[in-house]
Amino acid sequence: MTRPSEVKPREGDQPGTPYSAFQEGAILPEMRFSITPEINDEYLAAIDEQDAECYVLDGRKVCAPNVLSVYLLAVLYRRYPPIQGIVVYDQLWRWHNPIFADETTEIVAKGKVTEKFERRGRKWLRFAAEFERADGKPIASAQHTLNLPE
Amino acid sequence: MEKKIKMTQAIIDQYGAINGDNDTIHYDADLASRRGFRGTLAHGLNIMGYAAGLAARRYGADWYTKGELYTKWIAPVCPGDNLTVSLRDDGEIEGKVDQGITMVGHARLAEQ
Repeated sequence: MTRPSEVKPREGDQPGTPYSAFQEGAILPEMRFSITPEINDEYLAAIDEQDAECYVLDGRKVCAPNVLSVYLLAVLYRRYPPIQGIVVYDQLWRWHNPIFADETTEIVAKGKVTEKFERRGRKWLRFAAEFERADGKPIASAQHTLNLPE
Repeated sequence: MEKKIKMTQAIIDQYGAINGDNDTIHYDADLASRRGFRGTLAHGLNIMGYAAGLAARRYGADWYTKGELYTKWIAPVCPGDNLTVSLRDDGEIEGKVDQGITMVGHARLAEQ
């Protein structure tokens, strides 16, 4: 089991990344973690879905696909440790294949900084990430836009 | 479809425990107040999770292989807020508190 806190640098734990250090096109290194039934259960409870009966595919329990969202920022933060004051702006997810909830699934995530721009006097960063099973089967794609402090 | 949540600091803390962050704006009410907010801020991804739950009910098995979820956060959700997250028939998502709209987006099945 990999808790997000095990792979995600936390604000204040190390010197954070100033805006000037982010590089458009930067590759975000591969990150491996595992989704377990316990992690899925804890995530479902956190979004008040613990009693939901909809997480089934062909008779088999599946994870909430958005359980991956608690790992997404780790893809960025492992290369660019966070500072306080980062604000999430938007997020796009596409799910490709399920994560089953009755087993441990090894996940490999990787990403890229796709845009860095200033608009209306504010500083922005957009990155993309891909999540695959360890055998290469695609699970999800994500794009995330953040507003970064000065 | 809609989901109603009375936001509390306990909900924010519970989400923070699984999210693994240490962003003080979610946990320090005095700091949040000094920065001009009504209170600590619920995690945007927590609010997104409520919308995703509605989409899982709407689309069933297809959601896990063709689902597309987009959310944009436009205003904060704070402890004490009465949050309603809705998913319309056309897939549009809205999150709303008494002060106004906090999140927009969509949940659809991707074209194959």
